[in-house]
Amino acid sequence: MSEIFVLGFCFCFYVSVNTWHAYRIIQINERLQKPMTFKITWKDGLVITPWERPIGPTHGPSDPSSPSGSPVKDALDLAQDVPHSPLDQFAIKSFLDMRVGYLYISFTNPAFFMLLTLGLVFLLFHLVTKKGGGKSVPNAWQSLVELIYDFVPNLVNEQIGGLSGNVKQKFFPCISVTFTFSLFCNLQGMIPYSFTVTSHFLITLGLSFSIFIGITLVGFQRNGLHFLSFSLPAGVPLPLAPFLVLLELIPHSFRALSSGIRLFANMMAGHSSVKILSGSAWTMLCMNDLFYFIGDLGLLSLVLALTGLELGVAILQAYVFTILICIYLNDAINLH
Amino acid sequence: MTRMEKFEMLEGAKSMGAGAATIASAGAAVGIGNVFSSLIHSVARNPSLAKQLFGYAILGFALTEAIALFALMMAFLILFVF
Repeated sequence: MSEIFVLGFCFCFYVSVNTWHAYRIIQINERLQKPMTFKITWKDGLVITPWERPIGPTHGPSDPSSPSGSPVKDALDLAQDVPHSPLDQFAIKSFLDMRVGYLYISFTNPAFFMLLTLGLVFLLFHLVTKKGGGKSVPNAWQSLVELIYDFVPNLVNEQIGGLSGNVKQKFFPCISVTFTFSLFCNLQGMIPYSFTVTSHFLITLGLSFSIFIGITLVGFQRNGLHFLSFSLPAGVPLPLAPFLVLLELIPHSFRALSSGIRLFANMMAGHSSVKILSGSAWTMLCMNDLFYFIGDLGLLSLVLALTGLELGVAILQAYVFTILICIYLNDAINLH
Repeated sequence: MTRMEKFEMLEGAKSMGAGAATIASAGAAVGIGNVFSSLIHSVARNPSLAKQLFGYAILGFALTEAIALFALMMAFLILFVF
């Protein structure tokens, strides 16, 4: 059963990411056909258009014959392979171009890294459970897989109340797959030069929104039309009811957005700040000065500490995402 | 006003906007401090619950920190996207 969930998730993400990509491509094509006439000439002759301007200190095409300027400029010239924007790491590139009319089904790098993540999970789980299950005394890998697997049923049993164990176990595969997927996507994004799938709002929104729809369906299935009473607490005077329904409905609907935004914002902000700090450290290293070199050690250790923090945040956010699903599911099943 | 000056004013306004967006960190700082001070109070009163309370505190910390990250995200968006 869980394989079907995984395949469904994979397909949904693939299609949604590529639709977004198609939208961007269409936008860019429209721009290319109608080039904007609004251009700005920068100080040293660099012509920039509003959508591609140098970010940060400009060190455009400076001719090598001129006497070297400030040490900052020299260092920036030396460290030129650093991308100019910390958001460059989130760029979506297509590996295999495939298009059917306006529908883009290209194989892009988010799709590739999602498949890589799923392959990693499958390989890990397969190697541990091959030949009909693990050993009774687990080795390190089997302990890891058992830890991940054991983690979710505990959450489900603790957070969702008012149901028998058998019924609760129906929800377990979906929640378990969501946890494993977001955990491994977050962790795999911490590998240098790889791509963080969960740092794209579309992907996390797809996850949280589809789960929100599913939870609403479960609520209606369990409680019938009584589910609508979530928007009105019991014992409210009738004149207040219209306002209260509105006031309860907004936060309830915002749940669909907020868990997606939370995961995305954590991943994107963390990766951007690591990028900014390490770019700063790299530029400082290229300044060719003993004082800067010594000072750089502090910055590098800061980058190291931030990477450790990001590892913690990656695990924590997968946990928070999962526990929030359980809490919302509990709210839908047990009405107040 | 030339277009160059307009562009420079836009850059300055972006810096100001990004700086203003970081004021939100103050609220998140208060929130995170509150979470952990409550944790210490609770553990001091009932040390046997320390493990369970730490889980709750980490959850509260993550939820509070996300608000700070919304502000950071806005700062990044103002600086690098527009």
